[in-house]
Amino acid sequence: MKLVLIALLASGLVLLGVEVGKGALHEPPPKLADPCLPRGGRTGGLDATVQRIVLDGLDGAACRLHTTREELVLSLAPEVGVRRRWDEHTIEVAIRAGLLRSIDEAQRRGDIPDFVAPALRSLVRHAPIDRLVRGGIGLASAF
Amino acid sequence: MYRAAVAVAVAVAFADSSIVVLALPELYGRFHTSITGVSWVITAYNAAVAVTAFALFFMRRSRLAAGLLVFFAASIGCAVAQSLPFLIGARTVQGIGAALLLAGSLRVLSARVWTLAGTFGLALGPALGGVLTQAFDWRAIFIVQAPVAALGLLGAARSPSHVDDGARPTTGALRANACLGLLFGALVGALFLAVLLVISVWNYSPIGGALIVSALPAAALAVRPLGARLSGAVAAGAALLALGLIGLALLPSASVWLLVWALALCGAGLGLALPALSNAALPSGTLTVGARHVGLVVALALIAPLLASKVPAAGDRALLKGTAVLLDAPVGLDKKVPVALDMRDAFARARAGETPDLAQPFDANGAQHDSSLAAARDRLVGTIEATITRASRPAFLVCAGFAALALLLVLAVAL
Repeated sequence: MKLVLIALLASGLVLLGVEVGKGALHEPPPKLADPCLPRGGRTGGLDATVQRIVLDGLDGAACRLHTTREELVLSLAPEVGVRRRWDEHTIEVAIRAGLLRSIDEAQRRGDIPDFVAPALRSLVRHAPIDRLVRGGIGLASAF
Repeated sequence: MYRAAVAVAVAVAFADSSIVVLALPELYGRFHTSITGVSWVITAYNAAVAVTAFALFFMRRSRLAAGLLVFFAASIGCAVAQSLPFLIGARTVQGIGAALLLAGSLRVLSARVWTLAGTFGLALGPALGGVLTQAFDWRAIFIVQAPVAALGLLGAARSPSHVDDGARPTTGALRANACLGLLFGALVGALFLAVLLVISVWNYSPIGGALIVSALPAAALAVRPLGARLSGAVAAGAALLALGLIGLALLPSASVWLLVWALALCGAGLGLALPALSNAALPSGTLTVGARHVGLVVALALIAPLLASKVPAAGDRALLKGTAVLLDAPVGLDKKVPVALDMRDAFARARAGETPDLAQPFDANGAQHDSSLAAARDRLVGTIEATITRASRPAFLVCAGFAALALLLVLAVAL
């Protein structure tokens, strides 16, 4: 009888050990990255390059707004229910500045040809980012 | 036959402590109320049982037939409720009837049958309520209870009102009841919280959830013979229950096998502790009914505000982490943007009261045939579930504290 009891109690301690070993005492990944620090990203191919420029641009905007890239993205989709902490103009300026800096970085890394960079900068300066900010993510019509 | 019907009624009266847990989201939507408001559907019942049981103890009176009749009428009242205040009122009356029937049944059933019926009723209550809600409607929970009470009533109508002989409960019975109250408080974690976690956070169906949670009564049944032959069974049971609840608190992710392991420990703890404690406590009659339900009510009162404060914050954190997973997923823009838009719509529907199916946007955009998209889906769902799972940790630890207090009490007074 006592052996069964000892086995049951030992099983409880083993369970706790397994859970601690599986990271129970740590915050589950992913850890939200500091947008002001550089981070790697996929390169190679048009899709990966575009994504890296956009994501780095959002990082730059988030850094200016002292928030995370994720909170900034969620604040563009009011349906999700995340409260927006900045006015529309502030977000628009931050996103444009972030994207312009991201294009500079991509050009410096050689991810985009030199002759493409000015066109991209012009696109960012004239893109209707204000409408994107006002109406949430309005890209549905593009897909 | 009559005793079997009464035993089933006892199981249902105990099951009623937790049977509406999985119907709460539906009640919340039906009555357009707050989480606190809807939680009174559970609290009112348990508080009414506790208060009535103590009143019956001091009045030294119990009447099974009256209990079954009140329980029968109140079950029908709950089933036809058209407003939340009416439902809470009917649940209060149902609790009064349950206390009368539980107290009265102590004179009809053997201690072993009464304890078994109570343990299984309490353990299977949430799953049973979930299955009925899924198959029919929340009203079905109460509709099925009325015939159970009616069957018991057929035989009990002839049984007389019982007046106690005036003997005061012994010190041993009082200690056993205090310990039972603490163990029932701990059970709130193993039953209410674990079931809510499996079905509301991990998105299992009520039937799937019922199968998972059945590890608890199965383990209780398996170790029950040991409890009768082992000295120190109550202390060992309380220790196992505390370990199992700490195991539930430390769940690192939505892992079914770890949950089953922890629930089996909780069940083994109950299987060891309850028979010996019930034998010591049952001679005190209605006092033991009150003590058990006081434990449930106190634990509910402690963990409800904890959950209310921790879960929304964890939801916000989970949303940010899920967004990070989606943004960083190695998936082409042609898939990532439609998934993000569908996800946004899913959250919009969730704000209107619908449980969001976070895998659906990935599946709708081809995750079945795209391994990177499927991997992103699994990572996102896993991240969100793991983050919200940990929000229940303080509540599980409070319940483990109840079991630890029971252990200390047992060791201090050598029960």
